[in-house]
Amino acid sequence: MAKHLLGRITQLALATGFSLLATTALSQPIKVGWLSSLTGPLSSAAIAENEGVKLAVEEINKSGGLLGRQIELLTRDTAGDPTKAVNFAQQLAFSDKVNFVIGPVNSGEGLAATPILAKAGVPTLVIGAVDELTDATKFPRAFRMINTNTQWISSANDYALNVLKAKRVAIIADTSGYGTASAKQAVELLEKAGIKPVYNVLVDNNKTDLVDEMTKARNAGADIVMPWTAATGLLARLLNARGEMGWDVNVVGHPALMAAQIRKLLNKPEYWDKTYAAGYVSTTFLPDGKLPERTQALVDKMRPRLGGQEIDVLFWWIALGYDTVKMVEHAVKTAGSTDPAKIQKVLEETTSFPGVYGTYSYSVTGRNGFPDSGMMMNVANTFKDGSFKPAPR
Amino acid sequence: MLTVFVTGLATGMLFAAVALVYNVMFSTSKVLSVTTGHISMLGGVFGAFFITGLGLHWFLAMLGAVLVGAAFGWLTEVLAIRRVLSRSDEHLWLLSTLALATMVQQAVGLWWGTEPRPFPRLIPQEFGAGIWDQKFWLPIGTAAFMAIGLDLFYRKTMYGKLFVAMSEDAFAARARGVSTDRIRLLSYVLSGALGGLAGFAAGQLTFAYFALGLTLTLNGFIALAVGGLGSNVGALLGGIALGLLNAFASYWFGGEYQQTIAVGLLMIVLLVKPEGLLGSRNVRPV
Repeated sequence: MAKHLLGRITQLALATGFSLLATTALSQPIKVGWLSSLTGPLSSAAIAENEGVKLAVEEINKSGGLLGRQIELLTRDTAGDPTKAVNFAQQLAFSDKVNFVIGPVNSGEGLAATPILAKAGVPTLVIGAVDELTDATKFPRAFRMINTNTQWISSANDYALNVLKAKRVAIIADTSGYGTASAKQAVELLEKAGIKPVYNVLVDNNKTDLVDEMTKARNAGADIVMPWTAATGLLARLLNARGEMGWDVNVVGHPALMAAQIRKLLNKPEYWDKTYAAGYVSTTFLPDGKLPERTQALVDKMRPRLGGQEIDVLFWWIALGYDTVKMVEHAVKTAGSTDPAKIQKVLEETTSFPGVYGTYSYSVTGRNGFPDSGMMMNVANTFKDGSFKPAPR
Repeated sequence: MLTVFVTGLATGMLFAAVALVYNVMFSTSKVLSVTTGHISMLGGVFGAFFITGLGLHWFLAMLGAVLVGAAFGWLTEVLAIRRVLSRSDEHLWLLSTLALATMVQQAVGLWWGTEPRPFPRLIPQEFGAGIWDQKFWLPIGTAAFMAIGLDLFYRKTMYGKLFVAMSEDAFAARARGVSTDRIRLLSYVLSGALGGLAGFAAGQLTFAYFALGLTLTLNGFIALAVGGLGSNVGALLGGIALGLLNAFASYWFGGEYQQTIAVGLLMIVLLVKPEGLLGSRNVRPV
């Protein structure tokens, strides 16, 4: 009798224990790690993305969370330092045991941290543009949401060659890993199109004056200048040099050419004329002067959070940050769990997921979700509310 | 080619100005503070803030930048130098000044932002003046003014002579009743003021940028090592050589070789003439 009673008590205890465990698991938050370079060089993008990420998390939590669980955002400031990004990636994956990681923001950090996250098997939403950051074999759970660097360069090359009819291209890039790789890639893509650049140079990010390099480009007979750098100071110096030389040449290149900071660094506002950069359909004004519907809805939600005035940061960063959390929501809801293998399967089967920044599609072998059709060339000096006018075609 | 020369000369004179600041600090403390470049960064950032943010006249803004630099020099001595020197003969000041430099850079990044911001025109002048643009000649003139001023200070003033006395033998100076702690503090305040002035004068060349400090610290040190530690003329020569070499290396070979050539210059000088072009070899009489 006593033995029977003990058996029943054990059964009850086990059942209660399992039930408690299940309840605890259900009540535990879904942890999303956010590797964001909120301080340090090139932090502008991360700060803007952070606004989008926070808004999406707040919205989801207010509406009851995912599968009844709240999202817990674990933000880690990498300060743009790959070493810190690696340390935080390890901490998030192995100590905090997060369910997802968003980031890191800068490609250099991503190259260092993504393999670690892949090894840990954590689903990762990649927001670095360098092509090597995604690989369905090496990093099966890393899904890119931003465009690739190839898409930026191809859009700019297409506009330079096919719309502006440029034949003699000068490429000026910075000496960073990004600038060096981009210059090489730009040359390769141009050569595929049958154009050999007449001038190609790497310059230091802190170079104080670019009249010399621009003079060499002009002397080489360039009819277009294509800069590949994200350093706004360097880009402003390039445009100032062009203006002071009185050189009437088109400048086409990296999206940073459109950054609001450039406007402040120019010696004269007109030095920003005839400048075009790779942008996005989602943040390009339509012919009627309106933004695409989804973008406008997010602008309306963000504006009060950003002080109620005109938005003075590139809005695509905000939209991208917002979309990353929405992709987490989509994956968890569709999978019905946070199991990494199920999340991977759901993302692989995702087609035409409608975000604000873009409409994303992945496949079993495809990890770059942003479509070519989402790219759009913009006129650099038409910045308004973080968006731009389309470049004339 | 003339543009390359003037750009290199202006950048080089900024490095020379930072090297002069190193010299002032080194003369009384034998410390090469990592914060040296950051003082000039503060001069540029606060100068821009005083003019564009507070709407001050450029002269008042310059005085403000000099005061901010002096205050940071004082802070460096109090926080990162004094206690370290009093407790240890080891080169722990390298860590303490690095920590302070990192903190000030992060603080400026949080307050000012991490993107470069414009530095306003100081003298009415149209853009497009080419090599005659004030952005080149202000740092050149300021570094020359600093070198001449320091020379006069060392030779003609009591405090300058105390600096020299401490530089040559701090123990002997103390034995003769010189308050070495006070003189060291004064040297840091003076170097801070000079660094702030240099950063202000070069603001149009560098923009007001939070991450400029470490670049200036490194290049100022190379200029100093090439020219000879303790020599103001050497600092000028070292800075000019480094600036011109950087500019022409970038022009002829591309920016990817610029830093390699700068550091290569340092290595060659250290191998061939370790005391620098105009430095004096320390010989200990026995």
